Amino acid sequence: MTAVTEAHPGAAHGAGPRGWGHLRSPGFVRALWMTPLFGAIGLGLVLFFRWLGHYDPLWKWETITTVAFLTMMPLGFLAGIGSFDYWASYAIGRPTPEHEDHSSHGAKSWRDYFRVNTDHKVIGVQYVVTTFFFFVIGGLMAMLMRAELAQPGTQYLNPQAFNDVVSAHAGLMIFLFIIPSFAGLANFVVPLMLGAPDMAFPRLNALSYWLLPIAGVTFLAGFFAPGGFGCGWTNYPPCSTSAPWGNIFFSMGVQWAGASSIMTALNFLVTIITMRAPGMTFWRMPLLVWANFTTSMLVVVATPFIAGSQFFVMFDRVMHTHFFDPSHGGYVLGYQHIFWFYSHPAVYIMMLPGFGIMSEVIAVNARKPVFGYRLMALSLLAILVLGFSVWAHHMFVAGMAPWLRVPMMVTSMIIAVPTGIKIFSWLATMWAGRIRLTTSFLFACGFISMFVLGGLSGIYLASVPIDIQASDTYFIVAHIHYVLFGGSVFTIFAGIYFWFPKMTGRMYDERLGRLHFWLTFIGFNATFFPMHLIGLDGMPRRVADYAPRFADFNLFISLASFLLGASTLVFFYNMIKSWRSGPPAPANPWRALTLEWLVSSPPPIFNFDAIPQVVGGPYEYGVPGARHAVLESETMHAVEPEEVEKSE
Amino acid sequence: MTRRSVLQLIVIGAVAGALATVVALALPWLPHVASKEGERIDFVFWFVTWICIAVFAIVAAVLGTALLSFRVPLDDDQDGPPIHGHTKLEIWWTAIPAVLVTAISIVSAVVLAENGKATANPIRVNVYAQQFAWTFQYPGYKNVSLPNLYLEKGRSVELTLRSRDVIHSFWVPQFRQKQDLLPDQDTKLIITPTLTGEFPVICTELCGLGHAVMRTRAIVMTPDGFASYMTKATKPQKLSGLAIFAAQGCGSCHTLSAAKSSGVTGPDLDYLAAYAKRAGKPLDAFVRESILAPGAYIEPGCANTMPPNFKELIQPKQLDALVAYLVKNGTKTTAHKGCG
Repeated sequence: MTAVTEAHPGAAHGAGPRGWGHLRSPGFVRALWMTPLFGAIGLGLVLFFRWLGHYDPLWKWETITTVAFLTMMPLGFLAGIGSFDYWASYAIGRPTPEHEDHSSHGAKSWRDYFRVNTDHKVIGVQYVVTTFFFFVIGGLMAMLMRAELAQPGTQYLNPQAFNDVVSAHAGLMIFLFIIPSFAGLANFVVPLMLGAPDMAFPRLNALSYWLLPIAGVTFLAGFFAPGGFGCGWTNYPPCSTSAPWGNIFFSMGVQWAGASSIMTALNFLVTIITMRAPGMTFWRMPLLVWANFTTSMLVVVATPFIAGSQFFVMFDRVMHTHFFDPSHGGYVLGYQHIFWFYSHPAVYIMMLPGFGIMSEVIAVNARKPVFGYRLMALSLLAILVLGFSVWAHHMFVAGMAPWLRVPMMVTSMIIAVPTGIKIFSWLATMWAGRIRLTTSFLFACGFISMFVLGGLSGIYLASVPIDIQASDTYFIVAHIHYVLFGGSVFTIFAGIYFWFPKMTGRMYDERLGRLHFWLTFIGFNATFFPMHLIGLDGMPRRVADYAPRFADFNLFISLASFLLGASTLVFFYNMIKSWRSGPPAPANPWRALTLEWLVSSPPPIFNFDAIPQVVGGPYEYGVPGARHAVLESETMHAVEPEEVEKSE
Repeated sequence: MTRRSVLQLIVIGAVAGALATVVALALPWLPHVASKEGERIDFVFWFVTWICIAVFAIVAAVLGTALLSFRVPLDDDQDGPPIHGHTKLEIWWTAIPAVLVTAISIVSAVVLAENGKATANPIRVNVYAQQFAWTFQYPGYKNVSLPNLYLEKGRSVELTLRSRDVIHSFWVPQFRQKQDLLPDQDTKLIITPTLTGEFPVICTELCGLGHAVMRTRAIVMTPDGFASYMTKATKPQKLSGLAIFAAQGCGSCHTLSAAKSSGVTGPDLDYLAAYAKRAGKPLDAFVRESILAPGAYIEPGCANTMPPNFKELIQPKQLDALVAYLVKNGTKTTAHKGCG
């Protein structure tokens, strides 16, 4: 089981391209000329048709940017690095040998992480590292905002820059950190947990990943366009349709991130439905797999709606349609309905995978079966269904049909029930267990306590009368950070610590991990808890300036937020140092039962030498002699003379 | 379950509950309530708060006890008892939260319905929002338009709200009432003030660069005070440039010493003469053009972000007065950085 990063025997990497060959073979060099080429084609198309139609002005930068820079150039980049090579060769009838041998599978050196790679484990690592890169950028934006808000008045950011930073912070954290980092962790873990050699569609998986940096660069490039995008991540029209054209950078960034999400979700669904190992019935799947199954269903149904909403905004801007233009019969509130029909389920897209991680971490570290396993899975499905019926609780003060308020309040309240079931079941799982306080378990406890607070403030917001006072204030800022930071991000940290040994083959430093947890936990609460108060007391959100009476609170919050920001330095130090020189990880450092721990750390290139046989539930801790799965190779190993010698 | 852990459970739960109660009671969570609707909303707020404190205490007790009682060293290699579930317990923790949220829903729905009812003979006010100013028009008082919301203690006001450009949101924290303003349909809000005094009117929907400073005041008066104020306000008045400057919200984005405004989003209007010189136009014509067609000349360092709809919002006579006022006060000619 030491075939850690060894390539598949059939892999014919060869010496690779030389000299001018780089220009033709997939990679960054080819992307370097294909990206501008595609951009030039887009530019030519726009100019040609504008010239043909006698449109004035010929050089309309908004249209040119949309077509040439934000659509064609990304496609050129994807073509250049080789995302489409297999499909293109196949489509035009050329032989595709270099791909049939899985040479694009697995990683032999760090360079392979910068290539189009079809190995789900490589893609998982690519995802996680990329998303943490954007986490840092989004976090630095938050630090900028807090620096500006430390005192009333305008100090570092003018209102324009502030609105841009507010919008970009949210856009990056949601679309390029939380959602894809869950996709990344699941990418690595889910096929292993299922006993599958890879995802169902490895090339699609690679394409999904490479859309992400495009989305991120698009968001960041928006800062250099006129006006940036300063209408918040919600991008409500008419603000978004009347803002300077930097706004299309948001609309198009969402398209790339959304496309990535949808493709990954489809991939997960097909993988989970069709590639489970023999004996892995649905009721024997680990809850992480259940969580990603439900999340993927949410994504494929809901994400097209935000894509639609952003297309409509972009059409209104570029093509002069009037979806949201009231002077031509457009319907302003229509946007909010479409947007939230995605963006409320998006909250669960950002939460359910975390629920899955929690079930793994808590059961393994408390050494007990997950309490009420079936109800845990069913409550995920309940949240999935209910999640589609609560969107208008974001619009209680928006001016929608008044009759819609009470039904949406009731559904929003009811969704607390399945969520409560999950919390109580985790607590019951811990109860009477033998709890080992690893870093991942600490983050799990942090998650439960913070998510309960976020859930309780959610009850306030679900109640229409209280929401009328709290809506669009710092209370909302506090609530979403308790849910998305105290909730989602804590689970991401727990998941990273939990699977770090499996992903890298190294152990991390527990002491630094605990330090990271406590700094984050304290910094987080000191930053976000006071926001509840100033919000209810009269401070609206998304403001660059505020009434002087909130000055003391804001200074305190800003100082705390810098502590919170600094706490991630401990995390990165620990991760980077342990990855380079941490002690080698055993196959199963946590003595977990699920399949990913039955193979070496990191796993061999095709995960399992032989297809495993699942023989029981995934959490049978404390049951004498219970197994979740049996590997064929174990029986083979038993007769190998070497092994016998060692054991003697 | 040992007796020790049960005791721990109770103690931790009591401590957590007490702490949460102290936090709830000792901190001023809500500003002083100044409307009937607000009083009802506060009732719901505290109703929810007590339930939440109980839930928090239970969770804290179980989590705390689990961590204290059941923790073992990292290298411990034993397992816990193989408990897979407990159907009765699971039914209870499904049913009790369901009952609690149903109760909260009922209380909320009743309060919401009550808050939709005005007292007899309400004042009607049309509220208009634009980037970045508020206008309050009183149809019952000769359609007079005022930059502040004047109200009468004890008498409901029925607001009909409409935006003139993007979405804004009307909020008075002391009234606990908030409502978005849309450009394509009217929205309604009812407020029954119970205290006299001045309260901030705050825009809470991100509406552009001047969002943070889109503020005005709600002024609640005694019935007598309100009546006499409205009599005065409805008398025909001389057009005042300063009043138009304030009513159109110019000061949200522009500094002008004469109007005591300090906005920094747009150019400092004290230096209008300098800008006119740079644009190569006579001051009077330059100021007029900059209001009607803001994009015609952009001061270096500034962005073309001024709303272009002032030509529809300001009547010709008002425009004359405003231009005259700006020409009179924007006389500095020294070189000046326009924005920032």
